[in-house]
Amino acid sequence: MNARFYLDKMRYPLALVLMLALTACANVNGGGMDVNSLFNTFKTVKQAVTPANQQEEEQIGYATASTLLGAAKPINDPAVQEYVNKVGLWVALQSDRPDLPWHFAVVDSNDIDAFAVPGGYVFITRGLLLHMRSEAELAGALGHEISHVVLKQQLKALQQAAQLNLVGQAAQFELQQHGQNTQFFDSVAGATRNLYSKGLDKDDEFEADRMGVVLAARAGYDPYGLVAVLQTLETVDPKSNGMQLLLATHPAPAARVAMLSAEMQAGHMDRYGRQVEGTERYQQMIKTLVSTSTRR
Amino acid sequence: MKRWGLILLALLVTLAVHAASQSTAQTVLETPLNSAPYSDATAVVTLPAGTNITIIERQGGWYHVRLDSGQDGWLQMTSIRMNNNTSSGSSGSSWGFGWLSSLFESGRSGATGVTATTGVRGLNTGDIANAKPDPQATNEITAWSATPQQARQFAHQLDLKPEQVAYLPQVKGAQP
Repeated sequence: MNARFYLDKMRYPLALVLMLALTACANVNGGGMDVNSLFNTFKTVKQAVTPANQQEEEQIGYATASTLLGAAKPINDPAVQEYVNKVGLWVALQSDRPDLPWHFAVVDSNDIDAFAVPGGYVFITRGLLLHMRSEAELAGALGHEISHVVLKQQLKALQQAAQLNLVGQAAQFELQQHGQNTQFFDSVAGATRNLYSKGLDKDDEFEADRMGVVLAARAGYDPYGLVAVLQTLETVDPKSNGMQLLLATHPAPAARVAMLSAEMQAGHMDRYGRQVEGTERYQQMIKTLVSTSTRR
Repeated sequence: MKRWGLILLALLVTLAVHAASQSTAQTVLETPLNSAPYSDATAVVTLPAGTNITIIERQGGWYHVRLDSGQDGWLQMTSIRMNNNTSSGSSGSSWGFGWLSSLFESGRSGATGVTATTGVRGLNTGDIANAKPDPQATNEITAWSATPQQARQFAHQLDLKPEQVAYLPQVKGAQP
């Protein structure tokens, strides 16, 4: 299943064909076909995209999550953290991967962003929470991140970027019990720093938007919450510090709104526009954010 | 510590009050201003692209808006583009954040015991690129995780019911 999904979805087949073609050309110029080098090229490319099983994905996720939490600490506000975990898990339960160990956390930054990490981790900044009005908006934003995890977009990008067989190393990592100085941990941390400061392909972001609104609707929320969040972000000065990372790693909010607009219309999402907004519960829960401080 | 908190609070109050006052947008295409938030509601008037509006509230995929003339009605939310708030320098936001500014104000008066946060920090590409892993934090956040049963109970409190909703089709060439 997984292997087929990879072959269908990813750009690797193209890369493979290209590399094979280049190898072939090189060998023609050299005056003869070298079967071994062709085979080795094939093996290298194939190795880089070996799909991770769930346990391996969780180990990669653990190292990725630890790297991101090194940049922004979880806020010390159990009530808000538990609230976001309940909303998040409720939305994730409507996805195609309800059984992942989902962990959500609000991180201590007033900048506006959220992060999806392989294995079921989702982080959202305090700044983004303070730019939302309702639980439906939160569900939409978390739905976007949950979709990234469900689609394994970061997982595949990390595996590719690390230029390593992370899966094999994950197995070794298991023996070394979550130590942070292993080669595996360092490899994932390096790939994480690179991926999360540059971002995914734009198409991955649009795909996560498209799935995120559906997950919110399935959870009983008004699916236009995510559109409302993106329109709020349109009002924030794109040159402000609070938007720097988000805009460096995502398409412009207006482009995402335009895309969602067409897709939601095509999918007749207006049928779900009267679903739960959850404004009161959200505002009640989030107001303590103003009084929270860093964890350590 | 306390002084920084106060300075920050003052800043947040300024931004939040500013945010609450910003809620203007423009139509991006010719669009009917409806009397109610439905496609088949009566059109009050047809607005040309570029019409200035002020947003009052949202209901599903519709915004309740007011024109400069004072007339109000409902527009499909995707028919507008928010005005970019370049003057604030940081937090822009728009309609619907009155609760936030009143919260900051009550923090200032101390009436609700809400105080400003200390230790607020930014998060930019450099912070990510230089992040030092913190596995302890990853272990600690699991204490807040919910069980499926807790999530279902929590959903039930707000009368959230699971719906069968199909995934959306990809629409080619939808980008502006």
